[in-house]
Amino acid sequence: MAELLTGAAALIVLSALIGLARVLRGPTRADRLLAAQLLSTAGIGALLLLSAAGAPELIDVALVLALVGAFASVAFVMASRVIDRR
Amino acid sequence: MTAWLLDLPLALGLFGAGAATLLARSLFGAVLGFISTGLIAALVWVRLEAPDVALTEAVIGAAATSVIILYVASRMSAGAVAPAPPPIAQRLLAGALSVLLAALLAHALQELPDPAPSLAAPILETMVPTGLGNPVTAVLMAQRALDTLLESAVLVFAVFAIWSMAPERRWGRAPGPAFIAEAQGPLAFLAKVLPPIGIVIGIYIAWVGADAPGGKFQGGAVLAAMWVLPWIAGLIAPPSISDMRLRLAIAAGPLVFLMVGLAGFAVADGFLAYPPGFAKPLILLIETAMTLSVAAALACMIAGPPERRAQP
Repeated sequence: MAELLTGAAALIVLSALIGLARVLRGPTRADRLLAAQLLSTAGIGALLLLSAAGAPELIDVALVLALVGAFASVAFVMASRVIDRR
Repeated sequence: MTAWLLDLPLALGLFGAGAATLLARSLFGAVLGFISTGLIAALVWVRLEAPDVALTEAVIGAAATSVIILYVASRMSAGAVAPAPPPIAQRLLAGALSVLLAALLAHALQELPDPAPSLAAPILETMVPTGLGNPVTAVLMAQRALDTLLESAVLVFAVFAIWSMAPERRWGRAPGPAFIAEAQGPLAFLAKVLPPIGIVIGIYIAWVGADAPGGKFQGGAVLAAMWVLPWIAGLIAPPSISDMRLRLAIAAGPLVFLMVGLAGFAVADGFLAYPPGFAKPLILLIETAMTLSVAAALACMIAGPPERRAQP
């Protein structure tokens, strides 16, 4: 069972890494941002699968990543809101 | 058997994200490459069985650092002056030195004796009297408490450095820019829904650090993130930088740490020694004060120096 879960985590990581090409290529800022956000979402999934595969302490890491994963988008909004004010 | 299926893409992905960061043509692309590198590095730390480091990488890399550098990069690219790239010779030299360093590190890794030298066994033996269940916290708060005390003071000095960037006329105002309140939209929704959950999780992460991965830095960073969110949405205003309560919150952790350390002269063997039987309560006291300080200091670092204009 642990083998299967680790394999599933590998599949998730692999699919998110393909999305990493968008961070490099863009073309728009939103593409880059969402590719990085995809990585954090995939990370949560992979961590939960690994925790079920026999490392229960990883649930907390997944929990924190779920909580703060969206903050790259928040920072993006923060910057645009400051600049819009000028 | 499936472990390499996970480890190989992670290793290649870390390399690829690092290369993407260096090769990105735009500042924004480089920043997002850096954030991706941090996220992959968190997973790599998990695979190296270092969940404490993974947690720190996730919370500092994904929340605090990404907010600061993405915000700065966006503001820089909005300005008129683009930073000039360094001369080609300087870049080649930096690249050559980096390759040399990486080669030396790889060589050193190959030369490690098997099994690698480890202090894990003596630490597990000496952590019993502290009453802690997490060896990482035992090292940080008992064996190497002086290092942790000095690190905690660094946070206070970092806030000093950032605040000293403020122009004279803005001294005493609230830190950072001001945001217009937004009643509707996804940001306002997130800023209202997430903090109640996030504050509980932040306190939990700080609390659980005694026995499981977590601790003051990670928990404090989560709490700081939960303050930053409603601040960006314009729902709350930060206190003035001359507010004594804010200053006390930032200094509380190092102060309590130092006082417990000095009390060690009177009631135990010396500086930063804990009296037998009281190690865990004292460590929890320091951790509580430090969580508050880390949260306040990180929030002030994200907000930056005061730059609010006079209100219309």
